[in-house]
Amino acid sequence: MGSPMKYQLRHLTRYRYQHPVANSYNLACLEPRALAHQQVQNAWIEVQPLAQQVSRYVDGFGNIRHLLHVQAPHAELAVLSCAEVEVLPRNYPASFVDATPITELARYLQTPKDQQELFALWCTQPSKMIPILPEAKHFIAEMQSSEQSALALALRLNQFIFENFQYDPQFSSVVTQVDEVLKHRRGVCQDFAQLAISCLRSIGVPARYVSGYLQTLPPEGQARLMGADASHAWFSVYDPIYGWVDFDPTNNLIVDTAHITLAYGRDYSDVVPLKGVLQGGGEHELSVAVDVIPQ
Amino acid sequence: MQQWWQQLSSAQQGQIDAMLQAELRDHNYSSVTDANRQLDALPWCVSEQDWQQLELAVSQRQKLWQMVLADLYGPQQLLQTGLIPPLLVLQNPEFLPPLMTLNPPHWLPLLTLDVGFDAEGRWVSVREHASQVQGLGYLLQHRLAFNQVTAGHPDLPNKAHLAGFFRALLQQLQQPQAGQTAGIAGILVPPGRTAAYFEQSFLASYLDIPLMQGADLLMRDNTLWLKTLTGLQRVSAILRQLPDAQCDALELDSLGSGCAGFLQVLRQANHCQCLNPPGAGLISSAMLKPFLAALCQHLLGESLLLPPLPSYWLGDSGSLAMVLAQPDNFVFHELQSAQARVFASLSAAEQGLLFEQISANPYYFVAEQRAQLQTQPQALIPNKELPAVMRVFALATGNKSRLLPGGLGMLQINAEDFLVTTLAPLFKDVWVLADRGKARSLLQSSDNPLLLSRHSGLVPSRVADHLFWMGRYNERLNLMARSLRALLPLLTNNEWVATDDAQALLQFCLKANGNMLSPADQSAIGLLTQIFATDHANGIVAVLEQLLFNAQSVREYFAEDTWFVLDKLQDTIHSWPTHLSSQQPAQLLRQLDEVVLLQSAIYGLNNETMSRTQTLRLLDLGQHLERALQTCALLELVFVRRRPGAGVLEALLKMADTVMTYRRRYRSELHPLAVIDLLLLDTTTPRSVGYQCARISRQCNALPSLNPSTGLTAEQRIALEITSLLQLAEPQSLLTDDGAGGEIGSEALAELLQALQKQLRRLSDSITLSYFNHATDRRLWQSF
Repeated sequence: MGSPMKYQLRHLTRYRYQHPVANSYNLACLEPRALAHQQVQNAWIEVQPLAQQVSRYVDGFGNIRHLLHVQAPHAELAVLSCAEVEVLPRNYPASFVDATPITELARYLQTPKDQQELFALWCTQPSKMIPILPEAKHFIAEMQSSEQSALALALRLNQFIFENFQYDPQFSSVVTQVDEVLKHRRGVCQDFAQLAISCLRSIGVPARYVSGYLQTLPPEGQARLMGADASHAWFSVYDPIYGWVDFDPTNNLIVDTAHITLAYGRDYSDVVPLKGVLQGGGEHELSVAVDVIPQ
Repeated sequence: MQQWWQQLSSAQQGQIDAMLQAELRDHNYSSVTDANRQLDALPWCVSEQDWQQLELAVSQRQKLWQMVLADLYGPQQLLQTGLIPPLLVLQNPEFLPPLMTLNPPHWLPLLTLDVGFDAEGRWVSVREHASQVQGLGYLLQHRLAFNQVTAGHPDLPNKAHLAGFFRALLQQLQQPQAGQTAGIAGILVPPGRTAAYFEQSFLASYLDIPLMQGADLLMRDNTLWLKTLTGLQRVSAILRQLPDAQCDALELDSLGSGCAGFLQVLRQANHCQCLNPPGAGLISSAMLKPFLAALCQHLLGESLLLPPLPSYWLGDSGSLAMVLAQPDNFVFHELQSAQARVFASLSAAEQGLLFEQISANPYYFVAEQRAQLQTQPQALIPNKELPAVMRVFALATGNKSRLLPGGLGMLQINAEDFLVTTLAPLFKDVWVLADRGKARSLLQSSDNPLLLSRHSGLVPSRVADHLFWMGRYNERLNLMARSLRALLPLLTNNEWVATDDAQALLQFCLKANGNMLSPADQSAIGLLTQIFATDHANGIVAVLEQLLFNAQSVREYFAEDTWFVLDKLQDTIHSWPTHLSSQQPAQLLRQLDEVVLLQSAIYGLNNETMSRTQTLRLLDLGQHLERALQTCALLELVFVRRRPGAGVLEALLKMADTVMTYRRRYRSELHPLAVIDLLLLDTTTPRSVGYQCARISRQCNALPSLNPSTGLTAEQRIALEITSLLQLAEPQSLLTDDGAGGEIGSEALAELLQALQKQLRRLSDSITLSYFNHATDRRLWQSF
């Protein structure tokens, strides 16, 4: 059994524009949401140059959003999100023996009784960035055995992706198609999460996309470097008994106290950390620095 | 009604029909979709009794949709209790999750419904609309056309008038939100010329509210603002004519043409009222039809008064078996595609494919019984009745619905076509037979308190931009035409060899609209061919196209007569000979005369019909700035570093319509200096640079001052510099001896003309920066 972990989170995003822009609007999904196993204190967002407006609201998935409007002409925009987060251990059993078999899961979800089950049902369906592909179905069929629970299958898929797919930051942009990832067997955390989700949904298992952070440990004997961490992403599978259980295929982990959850949705497009529109500006350049500092 | 029509002779019938179609065309110069529109001369009459039933039913429907939408974009109880199979909503392309953050006081203040009579004579609903309110403008136009054409016909039945509804609509739009003063109301439309543009501008001018594009709007501090010549104006009500997903590039489709932050404004209580909030488009989905009756029973405890055509969800195994046993009777709707498939009109292969898709996932299908709609007769084709629906409009005010007492009747050959196309080309005006309401037009007196129009004189920056450039292109075209008209007679007969004098004017035409690359063929005919080439980016046709583009972008600002002239102008230029030959100078001259004449008509009409507001000022500024700029360029080509012949001097005077003035002052002797004085320095000749500058100064002084504390505006300063340049010029220094007994333009003249052109261009840029810059619609929103 783990113990609770406290983190100081700092996520800085910078845009540099070729030409100065005025009236830029951004939508941030950068404040960690409160969950049964996650408490958030002192969360705030800073914008440089000074924003005309920063409005916080909760979206339809329960994620926390900030709308940022910067009116003054600027050639550089910086958005800093800070929070203190405490993550509690989830105390999963050693194995999910009594989890619901896939065959029963479909029947169970046919008549959702509350918002959580409704969302689970929604997460069995293709979404904007995660189509249901025959290749994905074929891929997972080889792993699947009868009477298996969705959680046991997810665990196996998690390990398989970790062992057989190459982590390759050069390969992927934020929006790599699932079939490309499957074909080349490489990608980054977002790609692995979306691939797993696509596979699971293809056989009717509810799977959602989670965006967040992972605490990284510096090599033995070295000091922690500022900005060394990164945004992270993984997937989550619904079981009527255990609720949503999170898997990290990039690290072959069941998600616990080393991960901070930012937001979840049907796929990446529901939880884009920062997106915006502006007039003019030409090309732009993006840099991100994340620090997850254990307290 | 039928009686009234039968009593007319067939000649009278034909005349009424022809007049009606002409009324439609008259308002409609340049829309392809509209070109096919036909208004049947025989109105569709509905008894008062039938209408009262419909009123009750539509009122119930509006209440029902309000509750359904509030739930589906909120707690979603209806999906958890199984009243609607959840995925039919959640995976519906019309269901947009970002809108789950909205909670408007009413989800559907303006409901648009297509209804008809079924075989038993009961009202049925065929389609419902929310994301765009199409047809309201057409309906209005049709009724006005009817009133116009049948005025004085004594035997016409009494019909309910429409003005009361439009007045209520206007009141709703202009009514202040709780705790706020009323801002501006407008119609939000997509950029560019869409098929619906005519009808939108028709409605806008009838209601006297502006059309707004996303680029005209700005979200700041949770408030929606209209960018105008006089600064930002708060927008407090919107009638949306933009698809749901396009409304907000930040939170919805990033390529949408709406306004970034629009949803943020709608999330605030009472900041801006949208008569058809984004998200309401869900009601148009056929997927909800099978559940309407149960929803009505569940939410209102009433039976549904206006049922859709019998519809079945194929996820239900009983319905599936029943429908598949007789598929010919059904139209099939699939969740993802908006396409409706009439089984009986599919090929065998398509039917097989449909069966395959249904058996793979019956959950995603709804089958709707083929419509047995009552038919309506056609005025001029006896015994050929066609299935008919009418589009009706209901406005929720408080707890009540107010149904517009009339409708947009539509005829189709097959009833199923109503499920597929939004607007049929064959229309009928719908008359509710009753003596309801007296008012005939918004302009007539009413019992209601007077509504003062607040925005007359309010000009969106984008509109100002288009008007300014319309003024500039119109003048550019005019000077090119005048110059061509003057130079043709200078070409030596038959051979069309350019004299030195004609060469200067040819060069002017080549340069007037940005430099044209020197063509390989430098002969006069080669150059002229270039100028007239329809595909040349800088030729005279390109100038006309720019003029029309700018005019069309702000169509609602011009009177109909102006449109008529613009159309004529287009015809004239497009009927130019593609291959020039020296045989046609007379014909060319006639056509150039016509262009100049038509343009004079445009100037005159705008002066006569446009309100004396900033709109006209911008047009005028563009026109005179362009004239000053081009005249300087022309004088430079004629006088600087070359000795002008008598031919070109006379041509200059002709171009400027100043031959008479010149003769009065100087008799018939042609002195270069006198010509320069008349065309450059004189401030009383309407085509001289001096006159233009005085006018530009006056207009710049009258432009709104956006920053009142700083004394002169940037535009006033530049105008002052231009005026000083002219006033300080010494006429005698502008010419110099060419050493061969003649006179040519001096360096001082060259410098003056250069300096003037530079300052005029600066003025144009400065106006753009100060007054339009934030609204250039060529630069679309960039998303990242």
